[in-house]
Amino acid sequence: MDKILDEKTLYAAAEWWTRLRDPKDDVKTVEQWLEWTQADERNLAAFERVTELGDRLGTLDDITRRQWAGEFARQQPAPSRHRFPLAVAASTLLILFSGYLAWSHLEARATPQDYVSTVAQNRDITLSDGSTVALGGASKLTARFSKDERKVELGAGEAFFQVVHNTQRPFVVTAGNVSIRDVGTAFDVRRTGQYVTIAVTQGRVQIAENGGADSRVSGSGALEAVAGQLVSYDPTTSAMSVSSITPEQATAWRSDRLEFINEPLGVVIANVNRYSAREVLVANANLETLTFTGTIKTAAIDSWLDALPQIFPLRVSKGPNQVILSNKGRSQRQ
Amino acid sequence: MLSGATDVGLDAAALPAHAAQVAELYRDHNRALIAFLRCRLNSLSDAQELAQDAYLRLLTLEHPERVDSLRAYLFRIASNLAVDRLRMRKVRSDMPLEQPPENLHVTPVPERHVWAVEQLRDLREALRELPAKTSQAFVMHAIEGWDFHVVAHAMKLSERMVRYHVSNALAHCRARVDKLEMP
Repeated sequence: MDKILDEKTLYAAAEWWTRLRDPKDDVKTVEQWLEWTQADERNLAAFERVTELGDRLGTLDDITRRQWAGEFARQQPAPSRHRFPLAVAASTLLILFSGYLAWSHLEARATPQDYVSTVAQNRDITLSDGSTVALGGASKLTARFSKDERKVELGAGEAFFQVVHNTQRPFVVTAGNVSIRDVGTAFDVRRTGQYVTIAVTQGRVQIAENGGADSRVSGSGALEAVAGQLVSYDPTTSAMSVSSITPEQATAWRSDRLEFINEPLGVVIANVNRYSAREVLVANANLETLTFTGTIKTAAIDSWLDALPQIFPLRVSKGPNQVILSNKGRSQRQ
Repeated sequence: MLSGATDVGLDAAALPAHAAQVAELYRDHNRALIAFLRCRLNSLSDAQELAQDAYLRLLTLEHPERVDSLRAYLFRIASNLAVDRLRMRKVRSDMPLEQPPENLHVTPVPERHVWAVEQLRDLREALRELPAKTSQAFVMHAIEGWDFHVVAHAMKLSERMVRYHVSNALAHCRARVDKLEMP
């Protein structure tokens, strides 16, 4: 029976899917659902089909998942602002009022400050303490400064920090599971999902894995890295490995060159995507684990992609908006 | 295709009353039970495993006569098993050090699905056709795996609205995949 299930049944099935997904469901919901499945044999079939799709989408590979989240699940500003002038007036008052509250609590509480860059855009930022940050393409940074601490969170992408040292008010960068504490320093942090690299170009930093709620950055579990060292954190093993890097390599991206030393192709591509006009997708998971060392000019990503089949067993298919890397396998051969 | 073989499929006529009832439940509702578990777990193999577990627990019940509705009870057991399984998965993904890496390769949790590149591209286009809030709620819940209340908080919407958006997007995407798979 190849006929397309009628739309109404499909929407009803999808509605049941969301209701049953909620673990707070009661016995009554399940009973009602069972009645619905028995009312018409097509109902359960439709439910099975939406559930099967739910499965497949819930278990997408990490890179696709991240890309989709980046496109669709970004926080958007509420669009209602333009439509209701009264609401604008009310919210302005609210902002003024909360501004006053924030001001009066300034000493005690940190007001978060967000910095975001778009694809292929590098951005220079000076933080309120005078420290400077060079933010890479498609990156996100949140600064929470308080009286006792300067906290910065790298939500995505890459940033190079030149920190004004102040022992009374430590500067701590978190990137996923990793925290980096400055000990008078310049360093680069790159976050690709939960995969994090830290390159120290000057001075020293302490690096620690966040143990759940408590970050024991200054504790004995911290690893200390000095200028010229590159620390990579692999989330699958929670392991940190140390290698060496020159300041020129670490900050090459600021001169429009991306440098990679023995990094998984999946990570390389995710970072290339922060500068690529066309999105690059890796179709086969096995390709993501290939190791790449080399330099990619952000102005010449296309020619780098063209050359990839010479070093890796893959093929490159270019579309108007996307470039797809797939296995050069038997199945692909004509 | 979902009503695969299971160890519990027994001859109802030859069984004591309670076992016969369970066998009947299996015959009438196994497909629904597996669909229910699969909806919760995002995995067919986990759903099949927990369904068997649920029947066994029902079979070994001490006082079946005290249960009002065996069917409701079966789904309740299944629901609890699903909650436990999801919790177990979360613990495993939070503490990757507990497992030697080679084991992680043998039993990925849960299994990854293989998508054709064109399918992914078409689904992505299908999502682009939807209102921004609909696709956002859907990606946050179905793909990122956030609970409804977390999505509701992030989007400043009620949970009911989030569910409404997620349902619409899921039906829309399913219709799209159907169209492609049955031209």
